[in-house]
Amino acid sequence: MMSFRTKLLAAMMLVVSALTILGLYLAQRTVAAGAERDLQVNFQAEVSWLHKVQELRHAALLERCGALVAKPRIHAALEDNALDLLYPSAKDELRDLMEGDEPSPEQAARTLHARFYRFLNNTGAVLSPPSPKDIGDLSADTEGQLAFKKLPEATQIGYLPESTDVAEKTVDEIMAVPIFSTETGDVISALVVGFEPFELAGQRTGAGMKSGIWLNGVLHLPGLSKSAQAYLGGKITNTVTKSDRAQSNFTVSVNGAPHLLFYERLNPDSLFPPAYEICIYPLADLMARLHRLRWQIGGAGALLLLGGFVASNFVAARLSVPVEKLAADSEKNRAQRERAEAALVSTSEELKRSTRYSADASHQLKSPVTVLRAGLEALLTHEDFKPEVYEELSALLHQTHRLTGVIDDLLLLSRMDTGHLQIESEPVNLSQLVEEWLDDLDALPDSLDVEIEKKFPAELYVAGEKRYTSLIVQNLLENARKYNRPGGCIRVAAHEKNDEVVVTIGNTGALIGRATQEHIFERFHRGSGVTAVSGQGLGLNLARELARLHGGELTLVRSDNDWTEFEVRFRAVQPAPSRAPEVA
Amino acid sequence: MDLRGIVSFNAIFALLPILVFAEASVEGRVELPKSHSAPVMAKRYEIVTIGGVLATQPPLAVVYLDGSFPKPKSPPTKQIAQKDLAFLPSLLPVQVGTRVEFPNFDDAYHNIFSYSPAKRFDLGRYRPEERPIPSEVFNAPGLVVLRCDIHEHMRGLLLVLDTPYFIATDEEGRFRLSGLPSGHYMLKAWIDSKTTREKPVDLKRGATLHVDFL
Repeated sequence: MMSFRTKLLAAMMLVVSALTILGLYLAQRTVAAGAERDLQVNFQAEVSWLHKVQELRHAALLERCGALVAKPRIHAALEDNALDLLYPSAKDELRDLMEGDEPSPEQAARTLHARFYRFLNNTGAVLSPPSPKDIGDLSADTEGQLAFKKLPEATQIGYLPESTDVAEKTVDEIMAVPIFSTETGDVISALVVGFEPFELAGQRTGAGMKSGIWLNGVLHLPGLSKSAQAYLGGKITNTVTKSDRAQSNFTVSVNGAPHLLFYERLNPDSLFPPAYEICIYPLADLMARLHRLRWQIGGAGALLLLGGFVASNFVAARLSVPVEKLAADSEKNRAQRERAEAALVSTSEELKRSTRYSADASHQLKSPVTVLRAGLEALLTHEDFKPEVYEELSALLHQTHRLTGVIDDLLLLSRMDTGHLQIESEPVNLSQLVEEWLDDLDALPDSLDVEIEKKFPAELYVAGEKRYTSLIVQNLLENARKYNRPGGCIRVAAHEKNDEVVVTIGNTGALIGRATQEHIFERFHRGSGVTAVSGQGLGLNLARELARLHGGELTLVRSDNDWTEFEVRFRAVQPAPSRAPEVA
Repeated sequence: MDLRGIVSFNAIFALLPILVFAEASVEGRVELPKSHSAPVMAKRYEIVTIGGVLATQPPLAVVYLDGSFPKPKSPPTKQIAQKDLAFLPSLLPVQVGTRVEFPNFDDAYHNIFSYSPAKRFDLGRYRPEERPIPSEVFNAPGLVVLRCDIHEHMRGLLLVLDTPYFIATDEEGRFRLSGLPSGHYMLKAWIDSKTTREKPVDLKRGATLHVDFL
């Protein structure tokens, strides 16, 4: 019985463990996926924010530059052959572009102030300014990078690494706006304006994202060390030159820490050298968070497992009690059933044996009795015996008749016992049967002088096979006469009630003792102290068995006050149609 | 009609003293470039730039007698108004040394300036009630492109000529110059900023010469 509990516990633990592991796996996966998604969303939000700001800034710059190059004085200088007035006019016109309140370094990136500007002549070369100080000093080399081979038809955005004395190189965003002649519609010049580059760093603290610009194989990302910049610059150069994609991302290791690096072409379709926006996002924080989360999930899982174990133990103990009791009971029941079955089998076999024995015995007896009777009848035909001998022979012959009756009864019973007897049911006129048997009784030669009372309709049809129905009636009537007293009475009544025909047969005379009343229907039972009466104790048993075979019942109604009464019930039926004309 | 009236009136007014002693005349027709815009009831002359060439629309020409003439002692004063955000007239021929006033008839600021080599000037911003009326003396011959610093589309042309004998044609290109001195001269027709035709003329006292610039 312990084994069931152990098994239950083991099974429950297995289920709990499997569920816990599955849960942990799913939770871990969900958390990892969620973290990655969060990162992506966060990152994309950052990047798109950055781009939106940049777009806005570009739009603002473009509008501003566009407005500037539309200034009549600049057009006048370019169109009315007054190039000497170009920079002086521009100095006036673009004053607010260069001057204004000196922005703080934090604001510098956000403002639209230009660091420098230059005009290009109609061949795309830079028109040298008379006093570069006013419009932003540039080295000759840097200034040379502003030139085009041919004036652009559309605004070009580029980036210019500016070599200054400051240790870190900065990148200026340059915008070349073509100037169209109001007279010819041709591009006659271009204004190239340099702005402070836009930096994300410091704009959104806490994001941990750093951004810079990759230009001509060099990464300019002020937040990183020189070596890291050089390393990443090389990586980006590799990626960018291999792939045509305008934007992508990959994971890199910066100073031993994993980072997500995102790059996007800043100036697609520009005549200026390609520049890429570079954003790097440290993954260390995320990984640490993931690591911590994994540990938390693991801890929770362990606790869950422990809880599951305790609960399983408890539940197993609780569940196993009734189950074990049930098992014990069923074991007991099984033993009992087996014993009962064995008993049933042996009983059944015994019954079969006894039935077979009865049948065999009857058959074995029949022949000698016939022989005996034939012998006795032959002796009676002799005429030279004394009269006492004839009496004796007559008595013996009578006994052989009785013996034949007993044997017949036994044979019938044994057939019933084996279930071989089946009656072929048909409507039987019970009233007529009773009448016939009563006539036979009257004809019997004895001195009892019994009065017979009849109380039944002329026709009462019951379901039965005539020979067996008749046997029931015969048995009961014979008993009523057999156990009667001289001058007694037999009363036979019958009536139909609720689809049944109830026949009562009562008689005066010997009573059946209360103690034996319940045994009178048993085989070979005979009323005590009634030895004077002939019979073998088979009649009532046979009658009852037959009555039951008819679908009816035979019962003792009473046996007191000089009156013994039996009641037999049959199934009432309508007379057979074929016989209806006779009845009518 | 309005504009032509003013132009003719100005011309006649300018030439009046000379007219008395005039001895020769020139008349004829300048073939003008085809007008690009459909004729409208109220014609306005404006400066258009087609392929970098400044001209009036509808086309007008200025015919003048080139030569060496004495400068006037008291230069006349002429006007180019700013009305409805345009220069009026949009093309004005003047003799060297002429003072031109630029009255503002709009209810807005104007800022007339020119970067043309013939005359660089900048009148600054001023409103209609500005007195004296901002003006400029044009001492060098040449074409002066007038611009407004506030209204970038505004263009005006001032043709400064080193001669007192000039006239703007009508819109068919017809012209008549009278009171001209006799002698051998070059008669020129300014058609646009890039096109000036010329023809030598022999002017005789009392005679009217017919010259066509076709």
